Amino acid sequence: MSAKLIVQGLTHHYPDEYTGETVHALDAIDLKVEEGELVTVVGPSGCGKSTLLNILAGLLPYEAGAVSVDGVPIRGPGSDRGVVFQEHAILPWRTVTRNIGHGLEIKNVPKHVREPKVQAFVDLVGLTGFEGKYPHELSGGMKQRCAVARTLCADPAIMLMDEPFAAVDAQTRITLQEELNRIAIATKKTIMFITHSVDEAAFLGDRCFVFSARPGKIKTIVDIDIPRERRNWNDMNADSVFLAARARILKLVREEVADVVEE
Amino acid sequence: MGAGAEMSIQSTGGPSVHSSDAANFFQRAAIAVQRRIGRQRIRAFLLGSIPFVAILSIWFLNDIFVWRQTYEIPSMKAVVKSFFHLQRNCPGIIGLLTMDRACGMTNHIFDSISRMLLAAVIGLPVGIGLGVLAGMNRTISKLVEPIAIFFNSISGIAWIPLAIVWFGIGWMTTLFIILNTVVWLMFFNAMLGVRSIAKVYEQSVATMGGSRWNIITDVYLPGAMPSIMTGLRMSMGFGWRALIAAEMIGGDSGLGFMIFSAAAEFRIELVFLGVILISLIWMATDRFLFVPLERWTVERWGLVWKPS
Repeated sequence: MSAKLIVQGLTHHYPDEYTGETVHALDAIDLKVEEGELVTVVGPSGCGKSTLLNILAGLLPYEAGAVSVDGVPIRGPGSDRGVVFQEHAILPWRTVTRNIGHGLEIKNVPKHVREPKVQAFVDLVGLTGFEGKYPHELSGGMKQRCAVARTLCADPAIMLMDEPFAAVDAQTRITLQEELNRIAIATKKTIMFITHSVDEAAFLGDRCFVFSARPGKIKTIVDIDIPRERRNWNDMNADSVFLAARARILKLVREEVADVVEE
Repeated sequence: MGAGAEMSIQSTGGPSVHSSDAANFFQRAAIAVQRRIGRQRIRAFLLGSIPFVAILSIWFLNDIFVWRQTYEIPSMKAVVKSFFHLQRNCPGIIGLLTMDRACGMTNHIFDSISRMLLAAVIGLPVGIGLGVLAGMNRTISKLVEPIAIFFNSISGIAWIPLAIVWFGIGWMTTLFIILNTVVWLMFFNAMLGVRSIAKVYEQSVATMGGSRWNIITDVYLPGAMPSIMTGLRMSMGFGWRALIAAEMIGGDSGLGFMIFSAAAEFRIELVFLGVILISLIWMATDRFLFVPLERWTVERWGLVWKPS
């Protein structure tokens, strides 16, 4: 296995939007994501997980350290890193198919090559029959499926997901988690998944990076050694490895929250 | 369809077995019309017609009772006649389209509309282009906004004396007046539209490898459509008003010119005709251009809510 994403000594400060005070968001982050791996990042709110993702996406310039994908240093946004955002970021003025095919359109892939590819991803995320619909005609879960398909269809080297299921209801959420697991098996994509849900982090991650409260640092890496094929919510609720990993992550995160409260 | 119509007559408690064939026919026709056009639209049309019918009724009654003299309020007949009077020497449809000198009425209409079209073709892209640039770039907005506020405060009509000195009477003057109205209104609306787009749309296109140009065409322009539609209605509406005013003073043809010269000759029925035509042309533009455009874009995309 080779490392897809390498982050070394990444440090970042930014001025607070309202107070103007300097916020120390990330402190000397070192991490590696292997090819085909799904890693989850979990931590208390404001720990810099979203800052990290924005830096990886190229949407935020970073101060110190090195970040590279496939050995190429990150300078600005690029199609090698696909992002699924927390809010509904698919374009309201494009239909499901035109949203999913947007990345290929940008790359000037001709229509006859684009169409079968787009249809394959429509089917993969279960949006068959909704191809011509506009986002406002879809449910919240469907919108996020469309967003995942859009990112996958552009075929990035790594897919970055920023709390993508945070805005959907609990039932839809566990369905989407199982579907993402299925998609990860089907596409063998390298995925970094940011969440504040401990359940989600333990269910999806091959490894889970637990962040400390501000300044964001990687506190512990928890390995969750369960084959993807076995991961579904019916079995996981009785799986000792899963339950142990979840309990450990929860404990680590709660320590951080407690620290913040005591301060 | 036929069978369905009959079924619905029965289910809605329609005509009894005793009703005549004629009544049956009318009821059927009414149901067919409702099916074809839709109840809501018929209702909206009827409600909107009430004020017009009221005004027309009063006008019609004035023809009979003559509360006001015909030099104040002309008869309906005189107004209709005045349209054909100005067209009386027009050599048919060819002369109408080639804007033969004899086709007085339609020439005025065509002149006004083509000035408006020319102003739209020049003014709208300039206004939208500047607005989008200012909406996406702070430096440009700081450069352009103050001067836009300055010019936007001047009503189109206030330019007329200067425009006449600069361009004389005629086309250039009227065009200049409309452009002054159209460009700045469009600019402010397009700028506001771009600024109100959620940042995440732009970011999502950027992370798919999209260029600045991709972001302009795929995010800024469609995303700003609700504001651009408002700008379009406002700038064209105010532009049309400014045009009529400009033609009155600085024009040598067009509906505004027609009204003004008719008033000078005390031909009140021509003034009435001009005013009615100005409104009818605007209503038709709104109904057959702006409303479909809105349906095709912002309503289809779910960016605005249709009133129910």
